[in-house]
Amino acid sequence: MTTQQEFALKQSQQYKNANFSVCLSFALTLLFLFNAYDFAQGTWNFVWGIVTAAYFVISILQGAIALLLKKDLLTYGAIQKRTRLLSAVQLLSLFAGNLFTAAFAFRMLKKKDSIEYTLAYYMFLTQFLVFAISLFNLFKPYVSNLFMPAMILLIFAMVIELFLVIILAKTDVEQGVKPLLKWLGIIVFLTGLTGNVFGLILGYSLVMKSRSNDASTIDKWNQFWMSMTNNFTAMLGFLFVFLMLAISIASYGTFVSSFATENDYGALLLEPSLAHPFGTDNFGRDVFSRIVFGARISLVVGLLTTLIPLVIGGFLGAISGYYQKSIDNIIMRCLDVLYAVPGILLAIAIIAAFGSSTFNLIIALSVGSIPTYARTMRANVLIVSNLEFVEAAKALGENEWKIIFKQIVPNAFAPMIVKASLTIGSAVIATSSLSFLGLGVEPHIPEWGNILKIGSMYLETNPHLAIFPGIAIILLVLSFNFLGDGLRDALDPKLDS
Amino acid sequence: MLSEKGQKNEQTPFRFEKNYLGIIKQPLFKYLLILLGLPVHMVTWLIYQLKYKPSSYGHLLQKEKKAVQQSPVYDQWIDRYEDQYKSKMHYFNKSIDEQEMRREARKLADIQAEEMAKARLSEENIKDAAYLPFFGERLRNPAFVKVSFIPGILMYLFLWGYSRPMLRYILERLVMTIFVIISVAIFVFTILYFSPSDPAANILGEAATMEQRQEFNHQYGLDQPYLVQLADAVKGIITFDLGFSYTGNENIAASIANKFPITLIIAVCSLLMAVVVAIPIGIISAAKRNSIWDYSFMFIALIGLSIPNFWQGLVFILNFSIKWHLLPATYSPNDWLSIIMPVMVLGTGLTASIARMTRSSILEVINEDYIVTAKAKGLKPRKILIQHALRNAMIPIITVIGLQFGGMLGGAAVTEKVFNISGLGSFIVDKQFVPDTPSILAGVVYIAITISLVNLVVDIIYALLNPRIRSQMKSS
Repeated sequence: MTTQQEFALKQSQQYKNANFSVCLSFALTLLFLFNAYDFAQGTWNFVWGIVTAAYFVISILQGAIALLLKKDLLTYGAIQKRTRLLSAVQLLSLFAGNLFTAAFAFRMLKKKDSIEYTLAYYMFLTQFLVFAISLFNLFKPYVSNLFMPAMILLIFAMVIELFLVIILAKTDVEQGVKPLLKWLGIIVFLTGLTGNVFGLILGYSLVMKSRSNDASTIDKWNQFWMSMTNNFTAMLGFLFVFLMLAISIASYGTFVSSFATENDYGALLLEPSLAHPFGTDNFGRDVFSRIVFGARISLVVGLLTTLIPLVIGGFLGAISGYYQKSIDNIIMRCLDVLYAVPGILLAIAIIAAFGSSTFNLIIALSVGSIPTYARTMRANVLIVSNLEFVEAAKALGENEWKIIFKQIVPNAFAPMIVKASLTIGSAVIATSSLSFLGLGVEPHIPEWGNILKIGSMYLETNPHLAIFPGIAIILLVLSFNFLGDGLRDALDPKLDS
Repeated sequence: MLSEKGQKNEQTPFRFEKNYLGIIKQPLFKYLLILLGLPVHMVTWLIYQLKYKPSSYGHLLQKEKKAVQQSPVYDQWIDRYEDQYKSKMHYFNKSIDEQEMRREARKLADIQAEEMAKARLSEENIKDAAYLPFFGERLRNPAFVKVSFIPGILMYLFLWGYSRPMLRYILERLVMTIFVIISVAIFVFTILYFSPSDPAANILGEAATMEQRQEFNHQYGLDQPYLVQLADAVKGIITFDLGFSYTGNENIAASIANKFPITLIIAVCSLLMAVVVAIPIGIISAAKRNSIWDYSFMFIALIGLSIPNFWQGLVFILNFSIKWHLLPATYSPNDWLSIIMPVMVLGTGLTASIARMTRSSILEVINEDYIVTAKAKGLKPRKILIQHALRNAMIPIITVIGLQFGGMLGGAAVTEKVFNISGLGSFIVDKQFVPDTPSILAGVVYIAITISLVNLVVDIIYALLNPRIRSQMKSS
């Protein structure tokens, strides 16, 4: 292997992506195989067996594609058409629910990596998953009144997105955006308002590129999103977070809330089936619907408990970083006191004093994380406020508040974004932990920690009641962590080289 | 020998004064110093009030300033500042506002006049005689030091300690820690005090008569004003005498003393497990960067960061206890096997973050010049990695350990609930359902104290390990 060949292999993002997909796909196959075999009775479960077989075939195919890719890169230095065609077959794996291989297949279909194309197919994948998850409602005794119109809307959005994916696969946006694309961008932006945030980003990108003449803005945008879209795990993080957001909005139309909240004594503690994919709990409520409805609360609480301390801590940090000495001392010493109490304990103390409710939970968790944000902001403001442009603004006699919030804060904000995305995950964990202890969200509200609390009582007889909500929490937290790592790589200038 | 000793004796008071002048610039230390030397300060304050107080300094300064303002120099300054203002406005293409111009010029000239007046006064050897500089001058006098040495011994110890960089650093951190601990107690007490719920009604029930409630409030001192209760609470925390809990009539200090050891044991075991597992993983990941090992270890670490403790605990119980009957599901003090699962569950997050931190901090130093030199000298890769890279990468790792230890003690409540351990965390959670204010206050504050002490130790180790900080301390 010459160094040149080695370099081609190392540089190829597609090759990395292929290997990663093979690993994940195999891991899922093993997991399903483990589920398919009943250790106690030594029998095989038919449904799980079929799923396992399907994933096994997909994994083998993916492995073959990865090998072909390696051969292509080593012999020709570029990916051949034959390999791309073979990976197009892998698109079918979407129907088995294997996102990793499907996303990879979409990626292979376009020769040159493009931000818009990547965003478009991830948007399509999100919409497809929302549609597929909503379809499970068909097995229920009845569906909601809005089910048909909502599903038709979802199909309509999917068709538009598929159309956009095909167009974007054939065009090169860097050559200039055609008027048709601009109008499509506006439509996609509107569908993005249904919770599929990929649409918002894609629409904004298309419209901005068609209108803006400022090369530096476009270049910055491109650099950031190129780094993000190349990062497979970060995109998976985006995918899951946006999926949760989209499904919590779509669930207003497609899911029946009484299945999740009202007791049904005819269906207590049922095993998982098509009508109840995750079984039912001790009040006969459908755990699947409860988890879908719980996504709303977990997301809202997670986002708010990150946003509130971000704003307050950022403000305090900026002030103490800029004004130094006495103000700095007073603010930071007060925050040291907050910092000395662990977040969860502080939250427990606040909830003990003011009672447990969602509002108190949000306040309690926010107060605890103000100091970390203030410290991060202060450190950055200290660096930025010594730069030349701040001195220039001071020399021009600019108002001090304007200097802080127009010049310094925007330039010191990137680490705050990274910090926020890495701590949303722990906020989600803290929320569900407190609910699990009975201190968080009110017990009748379907929140993931509450669902798990019920599940933990039936660990011996119905372990799935505890396992599924836990997996939902882990996936959400993992996605935020992936996202945070991706953002750090994209925003941290230290790792640029 | 003798002369050396004499010299030292002569130097000592001056060193006291130098340290003193350094200390009074920091507000917190200033008050601490006054507090420590209170007997001495009371006497000198009296002397100062009686003898030196008629300070004519302010008066003289005003007079001198007036004199400057009437001199022709002052008009020259005004003209110059007005010119400056005009050229500035001209440069920015703005119209000239006469009034504003005059005001600004006068303001700047006044500042300069005051400075000049001060300079003139100091030429004539008249000094601003506030109390603190006055006391500093006294310290220069050996006789004063000798007389006041016994009553002010604490203050002199403080002044002496302040002159050694390492000792001063430890002292500063200690003072900060004490400040934080007391503030935490006040803060948590205040939160609980302003709770809208009425403990008497909660515990005695709605049916209790007014007299019964008053009796309850009187028994626990709840009828006292805020400040008295606060002082009682802080005193109770410092003297480990916290009275009795609202329900069950248990001695709070005794039950905390019973429950704290197990919480600490589990936390320390988790910490040890995390360090032993995570650092080798971090080293391997950094050494084989971007290999399959690196990717899988970091992926597992990220999953470890994302698993909620209680879910992991439940899954462990489900598999190890219910399905495979390997380990007991709940903790019992006599069975050491039963501690394995709680330790693993509590340590997972810490292991993951230490592994990630080790990897990234080794990667940060691995391209430094001294590593290249070590390679060029022909050292073995293993030796370079452990003796050169890891040693220098250790500092951020220790910081993370210190920070995470606090989070672990806080998160212990959840793990203890899952495994039914009667530790401090589950004590607080149980008490908060009542809510039993004194118990919650004591539990939270003692955990915060432990964390502050651990952080203090970490900071001191950090200063000892880090040559950069050591040299910084010496030069300052």
